Amino acid sequence: MRGSRLTKWLAAIPMAALALATIYPLVFTANVAMKDRREYTLDRFAPAGALRWDNIARAWTSVGMSRYFLNSVVVVVCSVAVLLLLGSMAGFALGRLRFRGSSAVYLGILAALFVPFQVIMVPLARIMGDTGLIDTYPGLILAYVAQFLPFTVFLMTSFYSAVPSEIVDAARVDGSTVYGVYWRIMLPLGAPALLSVGVLNALFCWNDVLISLLLMPSVEHRTLMVGVTALRGQYSADIPTFASGVLIAAVPVLLVYLFLQRQIADGVTAGSTKG
Amino acid sequence: MTGYSPAPVDRAPARPTGGPAPARRAPRGTRLERFAPLVLVAPAVLIVLLLRLWPLLLGVNFSFTGDGARNGTAVGFDNYATLFGDPLFRTAVRNVGLLVLLLPVAVAIPGLLATFIHLKVPGHRVYRGVYFFPAVLSPVIVGAIFNLLLAFDGPVNAVLGLAGLGPVDWLGNPSVAIFAVVGVHVWATFGMALVVFLAGFSTLDSSLLDAAKVDGASLLQTIRHVIVPGLSRTIQFVFVTTMIGMLTSMFGLLYVMTNGGPAGSTYLPEYYVWFQQGHLNQPALASAGSTVLFLIMLVVGLAQIGILRRSGKED
Repeated sequence: MRGSRLTKWLAAIPMAALALATIYPLVFTANVAMKDRREYTLDRFAPAGALRWDNIARAWTSVGMSRYFLNSVVVVVCSVAVLLLLGSMAGFALGRLRFRGSSAVYLGILAALFVPFQVIMVPLARIMGDTGLIDTYPGLILAYVAQFLPFTVFLMTSFYSAVPSEIVDAARVDGSTVYGVYWRIMLPLGAPALLSVGVLNALFCWNDVLISLLLMPSVEHRTLMVGVTALRGQYSADIPTFASGVLIAAVPVLLVYLFLQRQIADGVTAGSTKG
Repeated sequence: MTGYSPAPVDRAPARPTGGPAPARRAPRGTRLERFAPLVLVAPAVLIVLLLRLWPLLLGVNFSFTGDGARNGTAVGFDNYATLFGDPLFRTAVRNVGLLVLLLPVAVAIPGLLATFIHLKVPGHRVYRGVYFFPAVLSPVIVGAIFNLLLAFDGPVNAVLGLAGLGPVDWLGNPSVAIFAVVGVHVWATFGMALVVFLAGFSTLDSSLLDAAKVDGASLLQTIRHVIVPGLSRTIQFVFVTTMIGMLTSMFGLLYVMTNGGPAGSTYLPEYYVWFQQGHLNQPALASAGSTVLFLIMLVVGLAQIGILRRSGKED
C-alpha cells in the first residue's frame, strides 16, 4: 500500500483516543467512588483527595449490595455448573456418538438459539408462576440454563466433533461404558472448551437484568444487577455511593476479563468462522 | 455431519465404572448402553423444548386471547390492532427502523478498526484488549456509568463546553435521547464485533494482502477488493449478530438510562413487551408485541442473509 506507514500513524491517533474513551468512563466512576459528596459537588473531574473506601463500605453493608452480591454468586455458580454438565453431555452425544435423529435434535437446539428471551418472557413467567418456581433460586437457575443451553450445546458439539474417534474407540475396547467414556475421558478432555463456554455463561448470567427482574421480584432475592438499578433510584442524590455500587458490580467482571480474556474471545468468535 | 458411528450393542457386559451410572446387571446394562446417546442428550432436549420452544408457541397463542375481563377468550387480531394503535409501540417500531439505518455504521466501525489492528498500526497489541472490555460489562453497569457521564452537568457536556459548544440534554431531549442510548450501546459492543472481525482476518489468505501491497493498491482499494470479498462470511455474521444485539440486548440500557422516556421516545419492542407484562399486567398484549418482535428478527435475519449472499455472487 502506498504511504502505508503514514496512514498507519494517522490511524493510530484516533485509535488511541478511542482507547482512552473506552477506559475513561470506568476510571471516572472509580474516582467518583473515592470522593466524598462535597468533593464531588465542587469538582467531579479532579482526582479524589485520598483513597477513601467508606463509600464502598457503605454500599456493601447498608444498601444491601453484599446480599445481592451473594445472590448473584449462588445463582451464577449453580447455573454454570448445570449448563456445563448438560451441555457437555449433549455435546458429546451429538458430536461424537451420532444416533438416529441426532441432526434433527441438533437443528432443534440450534433453532432455539434464535428465540430471544423477550419473545418467550410472558409465557415463561406464567409457567414459572404456575409451577411455583417464580421468585425462587431454582426457578431463576432453570431460566438461565434454558436461556444459555442452546449456545453451550452448540459449542460443545463442535468441540467434541473435532475429537478423533480413535480416543473413544480405544476406551470402548477397554470395556468402558458410554457413560464411563463421557465421565472419565470426554469431560476432562473438554476442559478448554468448558472453561471458555463456562466463563462466557458466567458473564451472561452475572450481567443479566431482564430475566432476573422478571423472575425474582422480591427485594431479598435481587441479583446484583437489579440491585444496581434499584440503587440508582435510592441514591440519586448521593452519587459517590451510587458509583461505589456500580464499581462493586463491575470489579468481578474486570478481574475475570484480565485473566480469561483469551477464553472469552474464543467463545464469542466460535460461531463466526465455522459452519 | 460425517463419521457416523453407532454405539455397538452386542458386546461383553459393561464393567462397572466410577461414572454417574450405577453398576448394572448385564441385560439392563446393554439396554442402557444402547440408549446412551439419548440418555445423554435428553436433559438438554427437555429443557430446550419445555422452556424455549414450547413457550414460543404458547406466546403466539396468548397473543390471540384477551387481557383482564376477556382473559382466556379468543379475540382474533384485537391485540395486534391495539398494538399498532398504541403510539408507544409505533415509536418502538420506528426506533427499530432507525437501528436498521444505523446498522452499517455499527458494522463498519469495528470492521475498519479491526483492519487497522490487523495491519499492525502502532499500539495494535493494546487496542484489542482495551476495545473488547466494555463488551463484557453488563448493560446495567454501562448504563449507570453513562448516566453520570451524560448528566446535564456531567463530563461530556463539560468537554463540549471547553470546545465552545452548548450543553446538550442527552437523556432529557426526546429527539436526542434515542441517539444517546444507541451511541452508548455501540460504544459498549463494538469490541465484540471487532474480535469477530479479527478472527475472520486470521482466516484470510495473507498472500492476497501482500499481493495488494506489492501492486501498490491504496487502503480503500485493498478494503474493497481484498478484505470485503475475503471476509464476506464474517461480515454477514457481524451484520446479523449486531442487529440481534440491538433488538435484544438494549433492555438494561433503556431501563437504567431512560426508562423508555423522555415522552416514550426511547421505546424499543423489548422494552414495550417488558412494560406491558411487568407494569401494566397485560400479558396478552405483551405476547402480541413479542410475536411482532420475533417476526422483525426473522425478517431482518433472512433479508440480511439474502442481500449479502446476492452481493457475494456479483463479485
